Amino acid sequence: MREPATQPWIGIIANPVSARDIRRVVGNAGALPLAERVNLLLRLMAALAACGITEVRMMPDREGLRALLLRELSAHSGQRLPQLCWLPMAVSATVQDSFHAAQQMQEAGAAAIVVLGGDGTHRAVARHCGAVPIVGLSTGTNNAWPELREPTILGLALGLYASGKIPDEQALVWNKWLDITFTDADGVHRQDIALVDAAITDERFIGARSLWSGGALSQLFLSFAEPQAVGMSAIGGLLQPIGRREAGGLQLTFGPGGCQLQAPLAPGVIGDVAIARWQRIEHGQQHRPLLRQGVIAIDGERELTFGPQLSVTIALRERAFRSLDITACLHYAAAAQLLRHGA
Amino acid sequence: MNTREDSNPGSLLSAKQLLNVYRRMRTIRHFEERLHVDFSRGDIPGFVHLYAGEEATAVGIISHLGDGDRIASTHRGHGHCIAKGVDVIAMMKEIYGKTGGACNGKGGSMHIADLSKGMMGANGILGAGAPLICGAALAAKFRGKGEIGITFAGDGAANQGTFLESLNLAAVWSLPVVFVIENNGYAEATSRSYATAVDSYVDRAAGFGLPGVTVDGTDFFAVYETAGELIRRAREGGGPSLLECKMVRFYGHFEGDAQTYRGHDELEDIRANQDCLKLFRAQVEQSGMVDSAAFDEVDREVAALIEQAVQEAKAAPEPNAADLLSDVYISY
Repeated sequence: MREPATQPWIGIIANPVSARDIRRVVGNAGALPLAERVNLLLRLMAALAACGITEVRMMPDREGLRALLLRELSAHSGQRLPQLCWLPMAVSATVQDSFHAAQQMQEAGAAAIVVLGGDGTHRAVARHCGAVPIVGLSTGTNNAWPELREPTILGLALGLYASGKIPDEQALVWNKWLDITFTDADGVHRQDIALVDAAITDERFIGARSLWSGGALSQLFLSFAEPQAVGMSAIGGLLQPIGRREAGGLQLTFGPGGCQLQAPLAPGVIGDVAIARWQRIEHGQQHRPLLRQGVIAIDGERELTFGPQLSVTIALRERAFRSLDITACLHYAAAAQLLRHGA
Repeated sequence: MNTREDSNPGSLLSAKQLLNVYRRMRTIRHFEERLHVDFSRGDIPGFVHLYAGEEATAVGIISHLGDGDRIASTHRGHGHCIAKGVDVIAMMKEIYGKTGGACNGKGGSMHIADLSKGMMGANGILGAGAPLICGAALAAKFRGKGEIGITFAGDGAANQGTFLESLNLAAVWSLPVVFVIENNGYAEATSRSYATAVDSYVDRAAGFGLPGVTVDGTDFFAVYETAGELIRRAREGGGPSLLECKMVRFYGHFEGDAQTYRGHDELEDIRANQDCLKLFRAQVEQSGMVDSAAFDEVDREVAALIEQAVQEAKAAPEPNAADLLSDVYISY
């Protein structure tokens, strides 16, 4: 059995602004008010406290989540909750905050990092969390990677794991990602990752960021393809499913000559896409976009324009980062009677 | 390739259209920067509140509108007026308080209106545009031509009862309205976090059953795509919605504001990193659609236009005392 740290603590990175983009109007995607995000955090913390976790450290924000959480905590002074500390960091209100917070949590020895957000937030944390496992809680829009979970249950599983009652080999699973490398005309490299999907479009400008239509798609690279997902992963999943724990990924080329597929491109948006061909991809193989100019969308968000002066390569990486398997943890807890008292 | 749908319409704009967008944004910027100088010299009566830094929001939204669509503006209304096509020379004369002004020199900066362009007026009362646009939208709904209304409010004005009541009214009557919150982080000198219980304005929309979207108001293409969908929805009978544009203002709340509430280096930082004109120009030049020389030519045209506007405004006569009681009431 793994020995827990003397006082194991949990990092929390909660995106205060996920689920507020254009998909609210093009597909009636759900909204998650700040007050509800606070409720999720309080339920998570209550379960962590029940498992003996005494401290959580959170990424600060200036979008109102911290202010509302502090207000609520002052009203919950009688409730048993872990002590809440805020990471000492400047807030930029950009994705850089998630990068810095994950880095700090890794360096300071977090037992795990809970992420509240969509695929994009989880991707930001995965880039910088190193060997610290991620515990994902979906609060975004079309999330393929994090699951919709009751935070109380997630908190119980995490609390048992962090306090050393569940061994790593039972609790943790490996995840894949896509390495994306940009090389400019001077040979300077820049690295990024996609947890689930990297899409190439023929657009000239990034626009509203969220990818909600198939009209401009040229190619799609997937680390896993699940037919029960919504968004880009579903396109691959409805053609040739590849599980998130299975080796390999998928690459699709859009256009005539293949088949038409009806797919859930975003919440509330069912569209037809023409797919010319598709193929499995394997760990380490380097792939280049067919287009010389366009936009690359990562995990559902149009992120970057590229042109002939910028070379882009995409490669699948197996065993890229670890996450907590909530279901496995709770099955182990039941079998090992971790939550049973008395006879 | 699959059939292109409506997504990212900014990517489909021609070079000429992109230059027109830039011309509108540059005209607003130059207009405001000239007012900043002329006001400090004491040339301009009354108050002025400058829109510089926020141009991508006004132009990104209003580019989707025609003259039959109505907008209700704010005390910081010059950008909305220019984006809606109000004559720049008439605006300058109005701000100088001269005859030939958009309101014959009697309204000044905070009351510029031009109903022929669907510009219902800047407004010195915070949150007052929202109920006005509900009336205009109700009329548009009865006319049945697919016209819509847009009201702008600052993040401070969005706390006013009039604004919140209008969200309710528009939802109940399913009015073709988009409520735009121009969130520049400060209600005059009060930061958002100090005076607003829940920082998300989208959350308020949800409370009234409306869809709400937050967008980077300094990115023309993000605003243009998002606003296009909200406006299309309103035209097609989908009802009201709310758009929060996060943005920055380059000057104080009003001209003469010492801005002691700003952070150290805040202004330098936002001018360097969040200037919507620079961001637009960089994106378009990188795309290869328009070259730098074409943008520079627009800069020269706009500079000449603003100089002409100022000279004509200075040369125009002041209103006569006999005109004082005319135009008090107007029939539409």
